[in-house]
Amino acid sequence: MTAEAAIQQQRRGLAVPRFPPGDLAIWIFILAELLVFALFFAAYAFTRMQHIALFDRYQAMLNRDAALINTLALLTASYFVMRGVVAAREGQGRLCARWTWAAVGMGALFLVVKSSEYAHHLHAGINLSTNTFYMFYLSLTFFHFLHVILGMVILVAVALKAGRGGYTPEEHTGVETGASYWHMVDLVWLVLFPLVYVMK
Amino acid sequence: MNTSFPTRGLIRPCTLVYALLIGLTCVTWMIGRSGVGGPGVSLLVLGFALLKGHLIGDWFMGLRDVRGIWRWVVAIWLLVPGGLIALAFLLSFRG
Repeated sequence: MTAEAAIQQQRRGLAVPRFPPGDLAIWIFILAELLVFALFFAAYAFTRMQHIALFDRYQAMLNRDAALINTLALLTASYFVMRGVVAAREGQGRLCARWTWAAVGMGALFLVVKSSEYAHHLHAGINLSTNTFYMFYLSLTFFHFLHVILGMVILVAVALKAGRGGYTPEEHTGVETGASYWHMVDLVWLVLFPLVYVMK
Repeated sequence: MNTSFPTRGLIRPCTLVYALLIGLTCVTWMIGRSGVGGPGVSLLVLGFALLKGHLIGDWFMGLRDVRGIWRWVVAIWLLVPGGLIALAFLLSFRG
């Protein structure tokens, strides 16, 4: 936060928060998840060093257009979730619910596109033991896929409660907690997408 | 929670950030489609990803309004795997 913004917040009688939005417990969980994904990413990059030709060859066979759609879907979902948080802070529960349902829709689009990719791979006889590249690609992306599903479950719970007027400008920690988890899912994909689909 | 989202002007700053995220994603995709590679391109694409992650942390997760270590938690996370990935790719090009 800039000094000017801090002064403005203090003038409005608001203390500069020491902790991020949402329940602190979700942030501990987020840090643990991020650590696991960081190890996964490093393992991919250093394993690639031993099999550069293999990784480049099979990376070229991936569907980058589907990856683009999925990246745009997750980014858009994150934007919708953030707008839902703003609506909750302003006491607009129904608007918060609408933004959150829209984010769930974007998450569903991600799952449909990714599932079609998996179906294509399975039809081609590709699995975890096909080669080292596909072992990493399938395990990394499927691990992330499971996180998207969990994120959507959380967002549905937030949207239902927001629609019932369960959040107020004074108490909307649940919205911020769910949003923080969803942004983590997006954050991980933003590194996964270039690493697995583009960098060579 | 006091995270502020300025709304002055025609477009919210967070909407501009979203547009920037979309733009950087499309550039990354175009680089991928063009088939170009090499250390410079890989580091550029990785740099885009780290910048996008930082924007998500600051503007969407609301960390830009938090003080102390939590302000930088996402940035630190981005630098750790980002640095390791950059190192691995640079070593692979040297080898």
